[in-house]
Amino acid sequence: MNGGFHNVNNINAMAQQQAQQNRVRVAVYNWQNATVQDLLSYISRTMRVAIQDSFVEDNRVVGFVNTKTDADNLMKWNGMRFSGQNLKFEILDDISSSTSTTITFFRNTLFKRYDPQSKMLNLGNLYNDPDLVSQGLFSKPSTQSKLLPGLLKVASKEPQLIVDSLNLSDNSIKDVKSLSTLAQTFPNLKNLCLANNQIFKIQSLDIWKNKFKELRELLMTNNPITNSQMYKTEMLRLFPKLIVLDNVIVRDEQKLNSIFTLPMKIQQFFFENNELGSSSTDFVTNFLNLWDNDRNQLLNLYTPQSQFSIAVDTSQPPSTVEELDANPSFGYYLSMSRNICKVSSEKSIQQRLYLGPEFIGNVFKALPKSKHYLQERSNDYSMEAIAYPQVNGFLITLHGVFDEVAKPDFDINGKQAAKSSTSNRNRRYNHGHSPATNRLSKKSFDRTWVIVPMNNTVVIASDLLTVRPFVSNAWSTKQQPQSQSQQSPVAGIPTGPSSAAGAISGTPTGATSTPPIIPNQQQQQQQIPPALAPTLQLPPNVQAGLTPIQLDLLSKLHLQTKLNAEYTYMLAEQSGWNYDVALKAFQTSINNLPSNAFIQ
Amino acid sequence: MNQGAATSHQPEILQTFIKKILLHLDDNETKNLQQFLSYFNNTNCKIIFNGAPFAQPMIFLQMWQEQFVQTQHALTSLDYQIIPGSGTMILNINSKVRFDESGRDRLGQDALIKDGSNRGGLNNNTRPIFGSYFGVSLQLVIDDRIFRNDFNGVISCFNYNMLYKPEDSLIKIH
Repeated sequence: MNGGFHNVNNINAMAQQQAQQNRVRVAVYNWQNATVQDLLSYISRTMRVAIQDSFVEDNRVVGFVNTKTDADNLMKWNGMRFSGQNLKFEILDDISSSTSTTITFFRNTLFKRYDPQSKMLNLGNLYNDPDLVSQGLFSKPSTQSKLLPGLLKVASKEPQLIVDSLNLSDNSIKDVKSLSTLAQTFPNLKNLCLANNQIFKIQSLDIWKNKFKELRELLMTNNPITNSQMYKTEMLRLFPKLIVLDNVIVRDEQKLNSIFTLPMKIQQFFFENNELGSSSTDFVTNFLNLWDNDRNQLLNLYTPQSQFSIAVDTSQPPSTVEELDANPSFGYYLSMSRNICKVSSEKSIQQRLYLGPEFIGNVFKALPKSKHYLQERSNDYSMEAIAYPQVNGFLITLHGVFDEVAKPDFDINGKQAAKSSTSNRNRRYNHGHSPATNRLSKKSFDRTWVIVPMNNTVVIASDLLTVRPFVSNAWSTKQQPQSQSQQSPVAGIPTGPSSAAGAISGTPTGATSTPPIIPNQQQQQQQIPPALAPTLQLPPNVQAGLTPIQLDLLSKLHLQTKLNAEYTYMLAEQSGWNYDVALKAFQTSINNLPSNAFIQ
Repeated sequence: MNQGAATSHQPEILQTFIKKILLHLDDNETKNLQQFLSYFNNTNCKIIFNGAPFAQPMIFLQMWQEQFVQTQHALTSLDYQIIPGSGTMILNINSKVRFDESGRDRLGQDALIKDGSNRGGLNNNTRPIFGSYFGVSLQLVIDDRIFRNDFNGVISCFNYNMLYKPEDSLIKIH
């Protein structure tokens, strides 16, 4: 490929003009042992590429080469020795041919126009942005029309951009179709300004119906659309939580909030009194520990009158519930299910109530082996403990999740479970059963025990289990601000047993059998800090490189120190990922930290 | 030993009873409130809703009537155990519930600021617009008198908790 060299060596006026338009910006690193002039003549001499209009920027030399071919040629010389160092070349922003640099440029534009304090992204009046103009983004109509969608697309991949308010005024928008992805990018947008555009079709906004459920304020002034008679009605219809439209209050915010908010916030724990809180937490912890490891030992807790039954709730939660297992398998449970909405035979209902340690023990063996994470992931569990005076005992209900870790040892009749399906004699039950129906998976459950204290121990009078498809729960507040939160539950931070204990000790004392109505301070004290603080926004590439333990540590540090993500990371790294060391380092240096090191 | 009295039709009676309870929760008519209230043991009844306790059934039902939008429950699972000697049984219930997201409360009032111009179309339709389903777990302690057709004050414990929430709902529970 000598074309490049040929061009450079045969410059004429025409070519020069052409070249001016095709210039590509490049950067050179690791040149510092010589002067810029030395560097340029070396490059020109050795690589036969001329870098023009160069200047020094930070630790690099930035300049222009005449063509893309020149730039590509230059790249081939990466690593070339020059006065004791290896030169490094980089093509900077080459909009026409390189998408990755365009993305970088868009990113920079976005961050320049983003104010983290107010969570405001200002994309107003883009056509007069000097940087964008100098990049020639408005030279062709095609690039012009792609600019805003392009910026929004790049924005959707930036989890650090938490945007409450978006300004799109003065952008000559005629049709919001070009912004159709906006609702996916910022589903929780609260304020949107579209003023001074040319939006005229009211129907075109229908693409935003049932989107922007949190939109509080909309500014559309100086758009033809506002002249329509239906304008206000339509905006109220499209945005169910709209309070302010074009600077006029259209809904009573207090009334709206009372309509769309339940009168009390959901609580993860309720204990009728302190003592019941700690004893039921102990009971549940020990019970599940044995349930996961050695169910036989639990049988001591059941008397001949004790009862156990399982109900399978196969109803499918809506697909909009997070982490839903849309294809659950209940093969191991269905033959024991006592869900009387589904099981019509009275005989089966009687048979599936298991009475006394022997029968209960058989069922325990016929259930898949499990693992609960009460200690490690206490946010995944919710519990209520209430006195049950008619039995001189207590009612404990636990909601949560377990992993199925192994198949049951026995089937429900106490026979050794068949090793292979072909050797199973009960073929008629096998009909239509595929391994898929017996697949081991995560399940959500609700379990209620009626326990009666007796001689320093407890007896389980009643044990009711509901097994249902796995879903993310309603009580924990690990809400991600952006729509795509594909993080595995690993990122959910184990708050450890202390949080459960803290929640218990946080409940008010006074063992009244009729508790006071919704004590507010109890709500706050019981509130467990959110697992992954939404304010801890790590860049995805950084987060991907961290182990769950490191993420856990970051989260804890972040919550403890209120440092922002960047400083939390620095602190953790400098302390060798040791929580105690990091905390000490933080305490000694707290006075020297800039205010922008903290969560704003 | 109440177990001995276990005759047939228990499951049917319980299922009917629970469906009746859920219908009462979904009922908009204030005049039916008194009948619903009569099911609760008025001297000693424990009511927990989403982890928050209520001193009296009346306070809970009033709040439900006045501060909730219209609901629609669907029973998905029911299991029960009669506890011998206690005269009571425990019911373990799972249900789905969805809320009216039309922006009106149970009395049909919305949050719109009336200025005379926005009466077109938006308010004429008073049908509820139900959102996606939430998951509910409900535990009840009730007297076994219901098998003898006596429903007066039978509920002594009502533990209602939401299990999952759809992301597309307008209703906030946090």
